[in-house]
Amino acid sequence: MDNVKKWRTPVLIVFLLLGVLISVQFHAQQIFRSDLSLQSTDDLTLILKGLQDKRANLEKELQDLEQQQQALNSDTTNGASLARNLTKESNQLEIAFGLIPVKGPGITVTIPPDSNIVYLDLVDIINELWSSQAEAISINDQRITAWTTIYWNKEKMTITVNGADITFPCTIKAIGNPDTLEAGLRLLGGVLDNLAVYKIYPVVQRSSELDLPGAAPPVFHYLQPVQ
Amino acid sequence: MWLPILGLLLGIGIGSTLAIPIPGIYAKYLSVAVLAALDSVFGGLRSIIEDKFDGTVLLTGFFTNAMLAALLAYMGDRLGVDLYLAAVFVFGVRIFQNLAIIRREMLANWMQKRNLSALGAKKDG
Repeated sequence: MDNVKKWRTPVLIVFLLLGVLISVQFHAQQIFRSDLSLQSTDDLTLILKGLQDKRANLEKELQDLEQQQQALNSDTTNGASLARNLTKESNQLEIAFGLIPVKGPGITVTIPPDSNIVYLDLVDIINELWSSQAEAISINDQRITAWTTIYWNKEKMTITVNGADITFPCTIKAIGNPDTLEAGLRLLGGVLDNLAVYKIYPVVQRSSELDLPGAAPPVFHYLQPVQ
Repeated sequence: MWLPILGLLLGIGIGSTLAIPIPGIYAKYLSVAVLAALDSVFGGLRSIIEDKFDGTVLLTGFFTNAMLAALLAYMGDRLGVDLYLAAVFVFGVRIFQNLAIIRREMLANWMQKRNLSALGAKKDG
């Protein structure tokens, strides 16, 4: 091993260059492998086939998803129109039941204080208004509905509508055609004539715009619809 | 003794940091050149062990072998003859031969050091 000095330098140079060569070749080979233009035809065919399959699958998936989206969209539209219809229907029902405040032209019948009036007179007036095609009626801001009660409270000595005491002057508002409504009240031998016998002279006024309140919704405990 | 290995690692480091871009078509020729270089290196190692080392022979052999191998492979491609395969075969065979000789020599040296008969090992080989 005396001749170590003799071979050290050339071997070092050779090894250094070999290292550079190897690493450069390693890099080149890596690039070579990922370069499509240098792949063999068989490999390229395989790769192409794989990609085509993948693409077909993805296209199928896309179609499926589009169909799903369409179905969902139509569902949404159906749901929205259904909700609109239901809201409309519920609004109409609430109007019909007198649950929401309404407004429109009509007449106001004011019964002055100290009138010798009984609750049946009020019922008569309301019945006359209904038969004169009134669409909504209220007494002193108590809306008249299908479940309205009008009676004489013996203990308080007052007329009660929907459980509320009636104070005078009592105002009855009715929405409908003002002419028809007034004509119905002023019918010969009708309600106003009957009241005049007892010296009660209600004041009838026409209005182009009346505001009627809504009634509290009814509570059902026993009722069930028949299918 | 460890200097060549250090040189090899340093060379690999330089090669990776420089990352010289080689066009894909020349990668084949470079691979033949690397094979030739490897052959020269193992030949050199063998000559060191056999005490017949000559620095000039190693260096010239290293460069000319690598370049000639690459050139021949290129020429072969041009001429439609796979000289590339011939180079791979020849250098491959020579590398394995050299490796076998190096292994035997080293084994013999090791046996001698242990005061055993070197002749027996040589006969076996």
